[in-house]
Amino acid sequence: MPARKTFLMPDRRTFLKTAGAAVSASLAAPYIARGQENVLYVNTWGGPWEEAAKAHLIDPFTAETGIQVKTVSPVSFAKLAQQVNTGIYEFDVTTLGAGELVRANDAGIIEELEAPYEGGLFENGIASHAFATVLAWRSDKYKEAPKTWADFWNMQKFPGGRSLQRYAARVLPIALLADGVAVKDLYPLDVDRAFASLDKIKPHIRVWWTAGAQSTQILRDGEVDMIGIWHGRFFEAEKARAPVAMTWDQGEIDRSYWVVAKDTPNLENAKKFVQFATSAKPLAGFCKAADYGPLNPASGEFVTAEEAKRMPTSPENYSRTFEQDMANFGADPAEIAERFEEWIAS
Amino acid sequence: MGTSLSKLTEKPNIWPWLLLSPLGIYMLIFFVVPLADVAIMSFTEPRPTLANYTKVLTGALYQRVFLNTFLTAAFVTACCLLVGYPLAYLMAHSKPRTAMLILLLVTMSFWTSFLVRTYSWMVLLGNNGPLIAFLQMIGIESPPQLLFTRFSSTLAMIHILAPYMIMNIYSVMKKIDPALIRSAESLGAKGFSLFRHVYLPLTAPGIANGSVLVFVICLGFYVTPVLLGSPREQMIAGLIGHQIEEFLAFGLGSAMAMVLLAVTLVILTIYHRRFGLDKLWG
Repeated sequence: MPARKTFLMPDRRTFLKTAGAAVSASLAAPYIARGQENVLYVNTWGGPWEEAAKAHLIDPFTAETGIQVKTVSPVSFAKLAQQVNTGIYEFDVTTLGAGELVRANDAGIIEELEAPYEGGLFENGIASHAFATVLAWRSDKYKEAPKTWADFWNMQKFPGGRSLQRYAARVLPIALLADGVAVKDLYPLDVDRAFASLDKIKPHIRVWWTAGAQSTQILRDGEVDMIGIWHGRFFEAEKARAPVAMTWDQGEIDRSYWVVAKDTPNLENAKKFVQFATSAKPLAGFCKAADYGPLNPASGEFVTAEEAKRMPTSPENYSRTFEQDMANFGADPAEIAERFEEWIAS
Repeated sequence: MGTSLSKLTEKPNIWPWLLLSPLGIYMLIFFVVPLADVAIMSFTEPRPTLANYTKVLTGALYQRVFLNTFLTAAFVTACCLLVGYPLAYLMAHSKPRTAMLILLLVTMSFWTSFLVRTYSWMVLLGNNGPLIAFLQMIGIESPPQLLFTRFSSTLAMIHILAPYMIMNIYSVMKKIDPALIRSAESLGAKGFSLFRHVYLPLTAPGIANGSVLVFVICLGFYVTPVLLGSPREQMIAGLIGHQIEEFLAFGLGSAMAMVLLAVTLVILTIYHRRFGLDKLWG
């Protein structure tokens, strides 16, 4: 009986060829996939952020468009810049704060986009969600609640350890408010006055926190008594049943923007995604899950009054807060950041 | 036997090189090339310039942080030696069971992720931690702040690096021929004199190995000082990370890395001249 080549009983040579092809195909898969039509790489913060994004942005997006989404974390501004220089793309879309967005747009490392909803475009980033840096404290430590950043600076009335984020663009406006500057006169920033104000609080800052989880931990464990903390991170400490409280008063709002990496091979998918992610319903779901406030006004329809209480963008909370104004910052953010670093170390 | 040996020494044998080539190629692609890239970036980012080096070598902040890094590394090395030497001695010269137990404790600490060890210090030294509670119990009304100080980060670094010192000294002590000690005794050496003139010199290679390893590793410490230390006492690795992540100052960060590398190489060269680098691995 002559040996017959079949799929099930291949001769040795065919088998090796096929196996070899399969192996090389699977090895090459990541590169092939990069050029295909139906893939998108999204840069995320990982952890709960990614869970919320997966449930409300990514999975519904795949269901609607058939585009497979892969996530890469953590968010790295440095990587976004390097991608354009090296031409090797690890992710196609990411989120940036206003400060980074201005720098990214000036440096030409992000694609030009169009507004998906009215007022949704700033410096080629699409406004997605907002968070606030709020004043929070240990309620077991202070009988009377502090109300303003001036109270945060007031060591006689509220003695105890302090913490702020190691991030100049957020800390300087707070320092000016503490020094008595009115919100309407905040921008452009009086940088020297801000640093003079910071000099006064510096000896009491036990930690300049650098990661969100770290800020939750030091508040929850009572390592500091008063902190400038992102509102979502505050809710985590509260959920852990730590004796903590916060106020929306003088909360400092930061906006997060979706951007598309310049010259990415998945440009069309990336544009579709940022449009989808900032549309009313997915954005509302994401913000509720990740403790943000949606910036697309149409999302309000999907947020209940109870849920809105936890959002810096709800009308009641929003009126008590103030916004970062990166367009009218008053100085080069990079220079300020450098001065801030030198100031911290000295 | 004799002929084959001489053959081996006469003709250059390509086999060892062939066997080494996968590792060599790997190191070339994933170590030498990226390192060269960093070196090039330090001169070319953001534009061809020496400004990065001028800034690193003359800027007050960078000078202070470099100085702080080297002083911290030297202090940590000295403390590791003070803690490690007696412990290594105990391991080398006590009953097998006791020696085994100490060895187990040292290696267990060594194998635990250093992130975990860093966090455990946060728990131990924290405001609600056992140490503060103990101080309050014995009547100290307002105990000093322990966490987020130079004290806490240095303590944790000593804890993390001590096993390197202990294992190096221990391996040398273990190899000391007891006959040497006995003959020294028979010649009249005793007590401190015996230690000073016989035992200590015999263990010197272990001290040198351990010290160089601890010092060099400590120079590059990143997470521990960032998480436990005071904001004013930064180490250079933290500053490099910050330059790149926050400011996209790839050139400046690279220049700092190159300076750190150069200084480390100088230290290793001095060590090599004095002791021989090949001894580092026992």
